Amino acid sequence: MAYFEEESYTDIKFNWQTWKQIFAYLKPLKKYLFIGFFSVLMLAAVDVAYPLINRYAIDRIIGENDLSLLPRFIIMYLIYVIVLASMVFTFIRVAGHIQNQLAYTIRKKAFEKLQALPFSYYDRTPIGWIMARMTSDSRNLSDILSWGLIDLSWGFLMMIGITVAMFVINVKLALITLSVLPVLIYVSIFFRKRILKAYREIRKQNSKITGAFNEGITGAKTTKTLVLEDSNFQDFDRLTSNMRRHSIRAAVFAGLYFPTILFIASIATGLVFYYGGIDVSNTVISIGVLYVFISYVGQFFEPVMQLANILARFQQAQASAERVLSLINQEPDIKDRPEVLAQYGTMTAPKKENWEPLYGDVSFKQVGFKYHKGEQVLKTFSLDIKRGESVALVGHTGAGKSTIVNLICRFYEPTEGEILLDGRPMNDRSIGWLHDKLGYVLQSPHLFSGTIMENIRYGRLDATDEEVIASAKMVEADRFIESFEAGYKTEVGEGGSRLSVGQKQLISFARALLADPKILILDEATSSVDTQTEKSIQHAIETVMAGRTSFVIAHRLSTIVNADRILVLQHGEIIESGNHESLIAAKGHYYKLYTNQFQDLA
Amino acid sequence: MKRLKQFTKWMKGFLRLYFMAVVILIALQYFRTLTPLFVQHIIDAVLSDQPSALPGFIQDIVAADSIQRQLLLVAIFSVAFTLLRVILFFGHRFLLAHFAENTAYRLRNALYQRLQDLSFTYHSRAETGDLIQRTTTDVETYRVFIGDQLIEVLRMIFLITFAVIQMSRMESTLTIISMAVAPIIFFSAFIYFTFVKRVFKRVEEAEGTMTTTLQENVTGIRVVKAFANETFEIDKFDNTSKTFRDENQRLINLMAYYWSLSDFLIFIQFCLTASFGIYFTVQGRMGPGEYIAFLAYVGMIVWPLRQMGRIIGDFGKTTVALDRIDEIINQQSEHEDDAQDTPPITGHIEFDKVTFQFDDDDKPLLKNVSFTIDRGETVAIVGKTGSGKSTLINLLIRLLENQEGRILFDGQDIKTINKRHLRKHVGIILQEPFLYSKTVYENIGIMNKRADKDKVFNAASIARVHEDIINFEAGYETMVGERGVTLSGGQKQRVAIARMLLDDKPVLVFDDSLSAVDTETDIQIRRALNSYWKNTTVILITHRIITAKEADKIIVLDEGEIIEYGTHASLLEQNGMYAELWDIQSSLLRSTVAPEKEVG
Repeated sequence: MAYFEEESYTDIKFNWQTWKQIFAYLKPLKKYLFIGFFSVLMLAAVDVAYPLINRYAIDRIIGENDLSLLPRFIIMYLIYVIVLASMVFTFIRVAGHIQNQLAYTIRKKAFEKLQALPFSYYDRTPIGWIMARMTSDSRNLSDILSWGLIDLSWGFLMMIGITVAMFVINVKLALITLSVLPVLIYVSIFFRKRILKAYREIRKQNSKITGAFNEGITGAKTTKTLVLEDSNFQDFDRLTSNMRRHSIRAAVFAGLYFPTILFIASIATGLVFYYGGIDVSNTVISIGVLYVFISYVGQFFEPVMQLANILARFQQAQASAERVLSLINQEPDIKDRPEVLAQYGTMTAPKKENWEPLYGDVSFKQVGFKYHKGEQVLKTFSLDIKRGESVALVGHTGAGKSTIVNLICRFYEPTEGEILLDGRPMNDRSIGWLHDKLGYVLQSPHLFSGTIMENIRYGRLDATDEEVIASAKMVEADRFIESFEAGYKTEVGEGGSRLSVGQKQLISFARALLADPKILILDEATSSVDTQTEKSIQHAIETVMAGRTSFVIAHRLSTIVNADRILVLQHGEIIESGNHESLIAAKGHYYKLYTNQFQDLA
Repeated sequence: MKRLKQFTKWMKGFLRLYFMAVVILIALQYFRTLTPLFVQHIIDAVLSDQPSALPGFIQDIVAADSIQRQLLLVAIFSVAFTLLRVILFFGHRFLLAHFAENTAYRLRNALYQRLQDLSFTYHSRAETGDLIQRTTTDVETYRVFIGDQLIEVLRMIFLITFAVIQMSRMESTLTIISMAVAPIIFFSAFIYFTFVKRVFKRVEEAEGTMTTTLQENVTGIRVVKAFANETFEIDKFDNTSKTFRDENQRLINLMAYYWSLSDFLIFIQFCLTASFGIYFTVQGRMGPGEYIAFLAYVGMIVWPLRQMGRIIGDFGKTTVALDRIDEIINQQSEHEDDAQDTPPITGHIEFDKVTFQFDDDDKPLLKNVSFTIDRGETVAIVGKTGSGKSTLINLLIRLLENQEGRILFDGQDIKTINKRHLRKHVGIILQEPFLYSKTVYENIGIMNKRADKDKVFNAASIARVHEDIINFEAGYETMVGERGVTLSGGQKQRVAIARMLLDDKPVLVFDDSLSAVDTETDIQIRRALNSYWKNTTVILITHRIITAKEADKIIVLDEGEIIEYGTHASLLEQNGMYAELWDIQSSLLRSTVAPEKEVG
């Protein structure tokens, strides 16, 4: 956990494995890659040919005073323009297609993996990390493999084309011109890397400033009540001062890059002026050839700068690729066995016809469990629950209440022992089968953007409107729903933000009820709601629990008292078990807990 | 004129830098239009016997008797000349960066300070996302405008002007021909970039929908899994992902049309100039060097024009951004014209017929509320959601200002007491306390930065959060807030209590601030606090009647009015709303355990 920072990109070694897998995603796009390559090849060819058209004009038409060749020049020019425009058109479309399709494929693969990954993955992976992989990394990667790849090919082709053309036209001038090339390449890469780094630093500063603004706004009330305005502003000023320093540095640095390239190019031009000029005066070459070389010097830097840019970005893209693939290649540590999958079907293709009913007997046989790298939470834990029984789990934080629930949901698997459902080992049936028969009501209910209707229907996707309304009625949620202008069509907002906590809870009860689960898990909320809502929720809990095997992480005394069995947990062990009356009579832990909470009462 | 003032008010003191940058810029553009003339000079004057178009003083410098020497001098001069341009350019960037970044720095700081000083009413109505947008994206729009776009437009205007001047010195007819397609290039860029913004917005919206779907899925993965709705989720995400892909492709297709078409137009202009240029050269109206120079000048006109169409299409964005920024800046600070008096505050509080109503509400939130709290007393306020409890507290520290009646601290009307002074003496622990993006340690010590370790640990222990903290991987150094771990609601509340313990306040307000802590811990903390804050006046807002019961006095609020006022026992006797709430809550708590009544 702790403070989560994006990795830095320094010293990344070329990783062939990573690229091999990424290129495999490009395979279905082979056709487009080919067209893209063809179009940049044509573009490079006409770009290299362009000065030659002018050379034709200078040497043949002007040099020989022959205006009859002018129409031919215009036709050549028009061909150039048409090829150029159509190839620009083609390569933009094609690069865009590759980019979009690739990003789409990566997102799809990653999202499918996310749905298949067990809950333990989410426990140790921050949501921000996942979001970044799915958005910025997949974008980075698809950008570089489309536009980047095409720019790269164009850059290489241009450089090769110009070099070849120069040597064909005049070897001496070609050698003189190309003498500055190593410096040009070195300087480009030198600057590109640093500029990229400088801008990355600015982005980092920028997100800190955004964070500070966010904090200043959302924490305004606290800041006012604690009178922290001045101390906050000092912190903020430190951030903006840093931002200013880094921005100026980056701007000046970036401002140095292009002029430096320009300067190096001017040396090449100067060399061409001198040696080319002498050759012209000695009539070794024509004025047209001198013009071509001056043009080529100018045309040379763009591809060099482009290449330096892409090479610098490839490092970044590889880092993105590695992170995206680490998600896609993540092996779920909870999986169904092949024979189970064969009978029950996979997540995406379930074979519901083979699914037998679940009746709701649950037993833990000598179950031991520890989290990823934590201490032993459960040791030789045994428990037998009959179908229809309601169980309240009571105990301090860390006593193992959530763990038991997580194991029943198969969000985690026991590290020792086994859990039986209806007398059969849990992993004999598929995860999909289990979750189909399970209902889960969360402490802080999670709703999805959409209408109330859609949110309740989430419990059973094929439920009719009438069934949805019926279950809302059963938990008495219809009263507040009907009071909305749009009724069941009311949008709940992102994460249910337009509803109150109590309303969200009632909807989540209706949702669970609609699913009609055989085993119900209920993680009770502790947050305070007003007395009326509290009453409705209590009623809803009773309704939802009726007639099912249910496990409740209980905070409400009424729920605890009504449970068929109360398990008092401590350090992963059941220290007391029984119903309310028997536990009170025993005058043990439960008795103490109970009286402690209520000695203020009455 | 108002626009100009709005536009320049953040630049004061830095405008000199800007003017210097612009002067250098003008020189640079002039120098740039000289470069094609070196080629012209070599081809026409050195290698042939036609006139050179270079300015006279440069011609003098590069003059020599042999062709070889002339070539050498031109070559050396052109390199030296480029070096001069490089140095000037660097200076230009340096000045410009200082100007733009200092202006942005000032604007950001001003915004932050203003936001902190805006009234509570403003904050409770504003949308966070919108404010963030204004303070970041809008500031960035302005910064890019003054730092890049405006100067870019100036640069292009001067470049085009100088290029046209140089051209017309050589061949005026060809100059006019060389600008024939130019307006079309400019306006097509302008129109395209104005139009494409709408398409951009659609792409952004599609991406937003996709991101939201993803975010909701990941945060709600427990629900997804528990209802076995993975396939449904995959389809849902796939739809939004596809829409985003297709919208983006639509944008790119549009780009493909535009860029290829505008390339076409640009090269048609080149072709026109070249064709006529060849014709004029053959006719002897100009030299071959001038023809080549003309091609270079066309490039200096058409490429910038396309760019300019794009930037000018963006200008509107900056005025909108500045208006949005000013909407914040022009709000009145709550500390403007505030009272300066800072009297001692001991903890005696009196409400005298206090009434409060929001300007745009038709019903007061508090009506004629009167009560007195003696120093060191504990008073509980109970009532339904919306009964006016929080309003009362907000009035107490002048987050809101009552319209009628008076609130007195030690007999003095708080409207005559400095707000900051008042707030420094009244500690409020909110139900949803805000922790800053700092370590847990810094958060607890935030009001008393000099407090030593023992004090911080002790405060955390009293608030029953010390154990939680040392169980974090990084202990007290754990980062919380925005970029750190998410503490549970109960942990946050307890940290907020610890934070308050490090400061001595004569008045403390618990605004339902132990609601997310379990009852047992709640009781433990309250006991510990009672002995810690013996002489402190305490106001308890709570839903838990058992909490209220311990207070010296209990105020029952309903629809903004005090309907009951007294001790627990006296209120039970009155058999009013308090007694009713008490009955409901204790029956809810006890439910079916009636026979156990003697236990408690």
